[in-house]
Amino acid sequence: MYEQFRDIGRDLYLGGLVSSHAGNMSVRMGDRILITRRGSMVGRLKPDDLIETGLDADDAMVTLASSELIVHRAIYKATSALAIVHTHPPHATALSLSQDAIVPVDSEGSYLLHKVPVVEAAKTIGSSEVAEVIPPALRDHKVAMLRGHGSFAVGELLEEAFMVTSSLEFSSRILYLVRTLGGDHKEYRKSAERYETW
Amino acid sequence: MCADLKLLKVDLGKRSIEISPLALESIRDYIGGRGLGAHLLYAAGRHLGEPLSPDTPVIITPGALAGTGAPSSSRTSLTSISPLTGTIFESNSGGRAGIMLRRAGFAALWIEGLSEEPLSLVIDEGGVRFFDAAPLSGLGNKETRSRLLSEVGPKHSVLSIGPAGERSSLIANVCHDGRFFGRGGVGALFGAKNLKAIAFHGEGVVPLANKDAFDFVVGEAKKLISAHPITSKGLPQFGTAVLMNVMNCKEALPVRNFRDSSFEGASRISGEAVRDNILSGRHSCFGCSIACGRTVKVDGVEMEGPEFETLWAFGAALGLSDLTGVVRLNAKANDLGIDTISAGSTIAAARELFDLGKLDWNPLDGGLDGLLTLVEEMALGKGRGAELGDGSSVFSKKKGYGGVSMTVKGMELPAYDPRGCQGQGLAYATSTRGGCHLRAYMIAPEILAAPKLVDRFSSSGKAGLVIVSQNLNAAVDSLGMCRFTSFALKDDYYARLLRAATGQEIDGQGLMSVGERIYNVERLANIERGFTRKDDTLPKRLLEEPHQVGALKGRVVSLEEMLDEYYRFRGWDSEGTPTGVKLESLGLGKG
Repeated sequence: MYEQFRDIGRDLYLGGLVSSHAGNMSVRMGDRILITRRGSMVGRLKPDDLIETGLDADDAMVTLASSELIVHRAIYKATSALAIVHTHPPHATALSLSQDAIVPVDSEGSYLLHKVPVVEAAKTIGSSEVAEVIPPALRDHKVAMLRGHGSFAVGELLEEAFMVTSSLEFSSRILYLVRTLGGDHKEYRKSAERYETW
Repeated sequence: MCADLKLLKVDLGKRSIEISPLALESIRDYIGGRGLGAHLLYAAGRHLGEPLSPDTPVIITPGALAGTGAPSSSRTSLTSISPLTGTIFESNSGGRAGIMLRRAGFAALWIEGLSEEPLSLVIDEGGVRFFDAAPLSGLGNKETRSRLLSEVGPKHSVLSIGPAGERSSLIANVCHDGRFFGRGGVGALFGAKNLKAIAFHGEGVVPLANKDAFDFVVGEAKKLISAHPITSKGLPQFGTAVLMNVMNCKEALPVRNFRDSSFEGASRISGEAVRDNILSGRHSCFGCSIACGRTVKVDGVEMEGPEFETLWAFGAALGLSDLTGVVRLNAKANDLGIDTISAGSTIAAARELFDLGKLDWNPLDGGLDGLLTLVEEMALGKGRGAELGDGSSVFSKKKGYGGVSMTVKGMELPAYDPRGCQGQGLAYATSTRGGCHLRAYMIAPEILAAPKLVDRFSSSGKAGLVIVSQNLNAAVDSLGMCRFTSFALKDDYYARLLRAATGQEIDGQGLMSVGERIYNVERLANIERGFTRKDDTLPKRLLEEPHQVGALKGRVVSLEEMLDEYYRFRGWDSEGTPTGVKLESLGLGKG
């Protein structure tokens, strides 16, 4: 399990999806959660950077767990997710500041994501407010954006959550480039307008 | 949600019918298909009776998307209590019966009672009619279907049993337009009611709540199905037999009654061998683009191509690699109406007993002709085959060597050795219907990298994956969609299809909750029938006897540690009973 956290954490950092000490990941193991340590460098995770604590009940380890533990717990309780990846993808975060949803126009993003909802909270880090707004957005989507903060992606495996996170940032980058090039794009998808309603 | 979904109840003894509306809550909470079948059986308390009692109903339920045009959505559920396993049992089959039933205006067909004489049931525009089936007694499925269609019209969908079902063999199946409601001895349920066949026809239109949205989601789903290599290449080109070489190269193919895990003759009975030597055509269930069905030609005669499990059961499981022989055995078993997995596995167990000196005849001695005779005897309950005709568990216990029966809860395991895929071992043990791969298909992540590849030899994290698979599959079975679509689609696609088709306000997570509810109802039914943690186990061989060579050398299934985690994850107590809190959260609380 450690190797999965280590490898995906390294790729998140090297892929520019998080800054040096940002982002976090977890997996659910029944009524327990394995989550990255508060303040850990996800690009350089060591075995001690994985903290095990309860899905419901606090124990002493919560002092070491990521500050987003409250959000991870809320997602696990509200969905069938077995893994969560939280990142700060720059292009997706930028788009989240101006849009209520990110609707990819590229092929991969259209297939995998269709539409990524954007939700907001005034207190954006580790707050009960975030724990309230993110889980509903993940009931029908595999990744959601918290406005101005970053992405929360779910999957059965860390790799799946990583995949949709990576895909979201690539799609967002393409959207950014398209807009930089003048805004419009030639539509190649059938019923593309329906992606807005996905 | 459709407010006019109806339940048709038929009492074969009284030759009476009753039509009543289904409660909206039943549709909302259980959708259709497998979920609705389990709910109707459990809510009526009819899960407690003897399987072959006239009072134990057979419930046939189309999937919620039957007749809508959703991709690969023609599957139908048959639910009752299994005479083989003693558990609640849902058997699932492609074919047209579910669609016809929906078009005739029914979301569920409940059959109970015992007819004094052999009977066929016809449900169509003429209403519900009872036909004398005495002239069909003893006939195979092919002839039964042909004669019934000549009476009622060529467009009907037909369910029938062969001689094995008529004599209530515990491994009998139900033929469904040439495909099968297999496993669990469901054919015996028909036989015990003196029900030989059912013909369905309906011409009504299944309404769509939001056609535009539905068409869009169908289009998006088809794009993914046609882009995924398993559903667009592997299965269409090779059928389910594509798995033979895959499993063999992973050395997780059970050979000679799970005594070996790789087979020197696998390539001769593989999907590639079928394609290169005997394939004459492909076919599909209604409205399915995957088209995994095969037609083959042997000695100038066209026959149904065997599925992977059958190629395994009559091939690798017996240490045989006679491709055309498997085709003939498949045709024989299908016509007589016995389950090929159980039949082949039972012969494999008998062969092991012979090797151990505990059986005085070799079931493989007579070559192909001998096997054809043996399968026939098993189905008819005659000759040497008679003692094998109720499956390996009954047979091996009679012989005093139950350990050679590779079964869970009395049902023969399929073609995956769990010593080479730990999660599949947990899936077998916790299946609500005994030894099968269809409650949770862990071969997907452990071998086929779907959705992603996981370490197949590790038990870590497998409990969660098994649970998600069990819950999703329960929901997909309730929609009537083929499991193969789930290689390409996620829960949110299924929910969007259901939402657009029926108007039911449900999202991906809501659908997963429906699946969880169904799995818990099935679990409750089994607990109330006396099943406990001790039944959630595997044959001793898989727990204590590692292979001596190859990739699986030294490996056994680490079941107990996975089982503890599985129960905790499910919200069940240490004996595997759902807690009050869990039941409450699923709307299943008492009172």
